[in-house]
Amino acid sequence: MADQQQAPELPLKGLRIIDISNVFSLPYAGGLLADLGAEVIKIEGPARLDVSRGGAFSGVYPDNEPGDDPYNRTSTYNLLNRGKKSLAVDLRRSEGRQILKDLIKVSDVLTENFTPRVMRGWELDYPNAKALNPNLIMVSCSGYGPEGPYSRYPAQATTQEATHGLVHATGYRGDDVPSKAGQSFVDFLATWALVIGTTMALRYRNRFGKGMWVDVAMYQLGCTMVAERILDWQVNGRLAERIGNRHPWLAPQGCYRCAGQDEWCVVSVQDDEEWAALSRTIGQPDLAGDPRFATNAARMQNHDAIDAIISAWMAGVGKFEAMDTLQAAGVRAAAVFDARDMHVDRHAKARGLMETLTFPPERAIGKRAIIGRPWKLSKLPLSARGPGPCFGAHNREILCDLLGYSDGHYQSLAASGVIGSEPTVPRPVVRMSMDDRVRGGRLAYWDPDYKQRLGI
Amino acid sequence: MLPPSALDDIKVLDISQGIAGPLCARLLGDFGADVVKVEPPGGEAGRRMPPFFEDDPDPEKSLFFLLCNLNKRGVVLDLEEPEGAALFRALARSADVIVESFQPGYLASLGLDHASLEAENPGLIMTSITPFGQTGPYSHYKGCEIVTYATSGIMAISGTSDREPLKHGGFPGHYESAMNGMLATNIALLARDMTGIGQHVDVSMQEVVTSSLVINQPNYSFAGGVQGRRKPEGGSLGHVTPCADGYFVAQEGGSATWNDIANFFGREELKDERFSNPAQRMLHGHELDEIIKDAVKDRTMAEMFRTASEQFRMLFGIVQTPEDLANCPQLAARDYYQEVDHPVIGKICVPFRLFNLSTGGATCRRPAPLLGQHTAEVLAELGRAAA
Repeated sequence: MADQQQAPELPLKGLRIIDISNVFSLPYAGGLLADLGAEVIKIEGPARLDVSRGGAFSGVYPDNEPGDDPYNRTSTYNLLNRGKKSLAVDLRRSEGRQILKDLIKVSDVLTENFTPRVMRGWELDYPNAKALNPNLIMVSCSGYGPEGPYSRYPAQATTQEATHGLVHATGYRGDDVPSKAGQSFVDFLATWALVIGTTMALRYRNRFGKGMWVDVAMYQLGCTMVAERILDWQVNGRLAERIGNRHPWLAPQGCYRCAGQDEWCVVSVQDDEEWAALSRTIGQPDLAGDPRFATNAARMQNHDAIDAIISAWMAGVGKFEAMDTLQAAGVRAAAVFDARDMHVDRHAKARGLMETLTFPPERAIGKRAIIGRPWKLSKLPLSARGPGPCFGAHNREILCDLLGYSDGHYQSLAASGVIGSEPTVPRPVVRMSMDDRVRGGRLAYWDPDYKQRLGI
Repeated sequence: MLPPSALDDIKVLDISQGIAGPLCARLLGDFGADVVKVEPPGGEAGRRMPPFFEDDPDPEKSLFFLLCNLNKRGVVLDLEEPEGAALFRALARSADVIVESFQPGYLASLGLDHASLEAENPGLIMTSITPFGQTGPYSHYKGCEIVTYATSGIMAISGTSDREPLKHGGFPGHYESAMNGMLATNIALLARDMTGIGQHVDVSMQEVVTSSLVINQPNYSFAGGVQGRRKPEGGSLGHVTPCADGYFVAQEGGSATWNDIANFFGREELKDERFSNPAQRMLHGHELDEIIKDAVKDRTMAEMFRTASEQFRMLFGIVQTPEDLANCPQLAARDYYQEVDHPVIGKICVPFRLFNLSTGGATCRRPAPLLGQHTAEVLAELGRAAA
């Protein structure tokens, strides 16, 4: 047995990943691979900053203060790109692409999420990249994949969720119009598929000595999330209807308003025993034997009546009280958590999904909690290894120390703007008070005591 | 002879139920692992999940079960009886991975948890996928899709602010948890390849879905912001909008300018000052809605999807149904569907390929097993191994 006292080596230690991806899906995958010990070099252009460095998909600034370098301070950027190094190179210029080619030669993995024509146009698609480094693992993420009739279609998670079938499945019961998911749903399916693909390709390379191309199309992943609905249509000719929060074959299930401001609790009864337990808990034990509700089929039939009964009980209890009381009786029930609950709830605290990043003092961000990983390995303690890097912070280290460029070469690349340490085209900076964000509907509320609650 | 794939040296025992655990084990099988599904007498709960082939609720006809259990052989063992437990322990001695989804503590009560089994097989990895994980005050709470959705934080931001939080349709939390189960198992395998030592992998379904909230979560830890559900009214862009034969979603951004968008909808008034920037468009959202709804009332989803994407480079989605997905030429071009021949259901095309690899990609080698179909075969292999 290995010495338990010694911290085990991270499984991706010694591995170098060149990450030229943007936005959510693949940058997040790269952040998770950095957690596992890989050296991840994030490449952005001085005129092409990652979307998460400012604008609608960047979150907020620490204490809502943009500061002098807002592009290094956005919350979502620092969550997704934790533990990486930053190299700022203009890949539109051939001198910039030469740097990328030099890096490919000394790296294990190349990750990119351009539309497929871009890497082909630069002659850096898999066949070309492989010619530079025969054992390279290349990981691509695109909307629809490099072949097929939609291959060239622009894609973003927020519009793709309609095309890949999630919107059709989602919506309030009785509404004609389906509903959107309300966040970039398919991006995260891609994140996980990309980490699966990368880790599998690494194992393949370890065993067989060869690299490969991992080709992830978000559309395919999104369609997979409704696979049972596709089978139901293929075999039974059924287009399952939108049922809101109800369960397709069990009853009752719903989301009920509790006492308090915007407090909700869900309930899902999956058998007769659970129904009897619910009936007792809400003080109406006779409901268990009531023929209107005694069987699942009867409960499906009389769902509206049950909703009224549960709603009446819920109105008098808080969401956590409802959850704990019903779960203690063996009934599936859960408070609807908001972002504050996600951090301060007792289970969340005990599990420690949120990790505290400590920023270097010169960045004046302090300590901030970010999502760690939703899995724990009993003998491999993991943590995010640092915040997202400052723009271009590792230019010299990567070009001079790693690639061995001379100081003169480095200076000329900087002078001609092929590399940079400040953006030439900044990302949008949103300056809006937290109160205005609430008034405008971007936030439900804001909690001035959040730092105290988080102990940061 | 199949080409080599990343996991073709791995033996998996799947003792999980329902969707997330079985699908995780299937994904390992898709990439070459030899997966044996161990079910109790009578079969696991997944066999009773609709939809069923021809709506016949026979335990061999669940289409959901079929989907989650491709690429496996099936054996029946009663883990609660000494003989069944002993046979399982023997199988676990030569297994690389066990996937399970019981309530935390159950396997320990049978002496079949990771701590008990690793004594005889130090390389054993056990992947547990449960609603709230193995530890913490809710670890014994019962879960299901809507419980995962509620406690993840995603439901609070889904739906509209004038109504209750809204779960997404179907079982996405389960599918996402299956993917994370496979991901974490891969990491444990890479670690084991270095050290020879296995470990217990604890996947929390609640945490899986929380992990997708990369704007919502740090809004709180950076500035105290708590996202809610969107307002029910607003501009047509970014929301589901009706057209002649269905619904679509158009989004600003990407390489399309506002001028491109106005030209796509074919309405000159969209170029008016009142719509000239995002703030103006938000302010005049109602007027914008009316113009766009009128502009598309005679246009079809298929035409608009093609025109918007090909001519105007717009971010554009159409609300496709399961029927559209079953007949989708893009999925066909990606070799997404695979045909399997099931002994009871017959030949059927299943949604299969999550992503593509240039070599060693997912292969669909078997349909889901009938209950106990391979018990004799697997126990005979065990006997040969012991001899």
